[in-house]
Amino acid sequence: MSKLATLAEAVASIPSGAHVALSGFAITRCNMAFAREVIRQGIRGLTISQCVGGMDADLLVGAGAVERMIYGGGSLDRFGRLNNVNRAIESGTIIAEEYSSLSVAFRYLAGALGLPFIPIRSLRGSDILARLQQIAPENVSTVRDPFTGEEWLALRPLVPDVAVVQVQVADEEGNAWIYGPRWDNEEQVKASQRVIVITEQLVPTEIIRRDPERTIIPGFKVSHVVHLPFSAHPTSVYRVYDYDAEHIKEYAAATRTVEGFQAYLEKYVFGVQDHWEYLERVGGMRHLTTLLADPILGY
Amino acid sequence: MYAEDYTPSELMAVAGARELKDGEIAAVGIGLPVVASFLAKRTHAPRLTILFELGVVDPEPIHTGVGLADPRVWYRAKVMSSFVDMLGMVLHRGLVDVGFLGGLETDAYGNLNTTLLGDPHGKFTHFVGSGGANDIASSAKRTVIIIRHEARKFRDLVSFITSPGYLRGGNAREAAGLRGGPVRVITDKAIFGFDPQTRRMRLESVHPHTTLEDVLAHMGFRPLVPDRVPVTEPPTVEQIRLIREEIDPEGIYVR
Repeated sequence: MSKLATLAEAVASIPSGAHVALSGFAITRCNMAFAREVIRQGIRGLTISQCVGGMDADLLVGAGAVERMIYGGGSLDRFGRLNNVNRAIESGTIIAEEYSSLSVAFRYLAGALGLPFIPIRSLRGSDILARLQQIAPENVSTVRDPFTGEEWLALRPLVPDVAVVQVQVADEEGNAWIYGPRWDNEEQVKASQRVIVITEQLVPTEIIRRDPERTIIPGFKVSHVVHLPFSAHPTSVYRVYDYDAEHIKEYAAATRTVEGFQAYLEKYVFGVQDHWEYLERVGGMRHLTTLLADPILGY
Repeated sequence: MYAEDYTPSELMAVAGARELKDGEIAAVGIGLPVVASFLAKRTHAPRLTILFELGVVDPEPIHTGVGLADPRVWYRAKVMSSFVDMLGMVLHRGLVDVGFLGGLETDAYGNLNTTLLGDPHGKFTHFVGSGGANDIASSAKRTVIIIRHEARKFRDLVSFITSPGYLRGGNAREAAGLRGGPVRVITDKAIFGFDPQTRRMRLESVHPHTTLEDVLAHMGFRPLVPDRVPVTEPPTVEQIRLIREEIDPEGIYVR
């Protein structure tokens, strides 16, 4: 069954206040076109989660779409910090449940396995835990190992309403392949109630059937498949295109101030009707083709 | 043959490499730890396994990356998987021998802060947070801290413990249920270890062209100082050549 949808349709399926797991990691495979459309549609009050905060989260937080962020820290790598996220944490305009990468991954894993909780060695003795016990006491507790009697930190599972995942290859049912490291994406997908797949390339199911061991996202979990080239721009998609260094620098500079970020939003989000106009705004095919990945290097 | 011409950063990378033994598994972040681990692998530790938290094992990059999210640093990897695979089934499982960590601040017990500066309950500036650092600090068999030698980075107590060292010293770390702990702190002026009983930072060697006074003047606390402080072993000519010509030719990690 085809689940092909436009980006606008897929985004419209997400109600304000939903919990959305994002597939980005710093500046790679971030849900950028998705985030821009969420902002244009005026969806608010989201809970977003990801192991390492990325540019998708920063854009959504800056635009005021987020109420709670569950993440393990994050940055734009050498291009800078998540200025919007940091500003929102400092001013208390979002609730930031800050963990470590593995503790968020374990929360997804517990959700994916249908476990009631998951014990972990991380976070113990840290101020990360002390802060979580204050702002999210419902998600951290302790449990006694029934076999040894040892006490462990226990985390509550994460079960997002929807995982939104940028992938390289998918068919119209949503069976999808992720090339390169997958960080938390498989656990996010399997923990979530449903999945929106945003793919660079759409292939016939016959192609999927030839290499089914590559399928990280099973179609039966997917509600929408959006075929949208350059949908992670300006972040990278391994083996498809590189990050757009100049654009990320522009973003990092713009987000240093609220005013700068508002101007960025006007230019690249509200000032364009859709993803296609955005791609023209950032330089069109003449520019985008310079980012295409070398097939050997993958970037 | 020891090199005459090298920078403090290059000495830090070499000192980091010397912490790695052949056959070990190292969890590495971007920057000097990458240089240190690649240098070790090309010299005395060819069977070293290098892993990145997001799911990359033993890459052989030919271009310098801007961070772990840069596909340049994944090039020619042997494994591409996930956090649960790397930080879970390798690190949490107890198989990582060494983890490299850095930070905004450290303190006399090797606790690290990468989260915020200021008052956690009042006005503060938020930075990066943990990523996999807390996980590595909690579960690696030992950790090595690489940090610039500045008084504002060596605090009596860090303002926020992102990645625990020995907490408040003594057996506080073991009591918290954590494994391992920091064994070395490498700066651009000196190398430190930790006293086995008190777990307080202890000076081990002072770099060439640096004095004990200079080392202590740029710290926010006084470390334990033995009666005789040796000079740090300088880099070899071959180590410097590898860093400059092969590992970081553009000088992005090592300035």
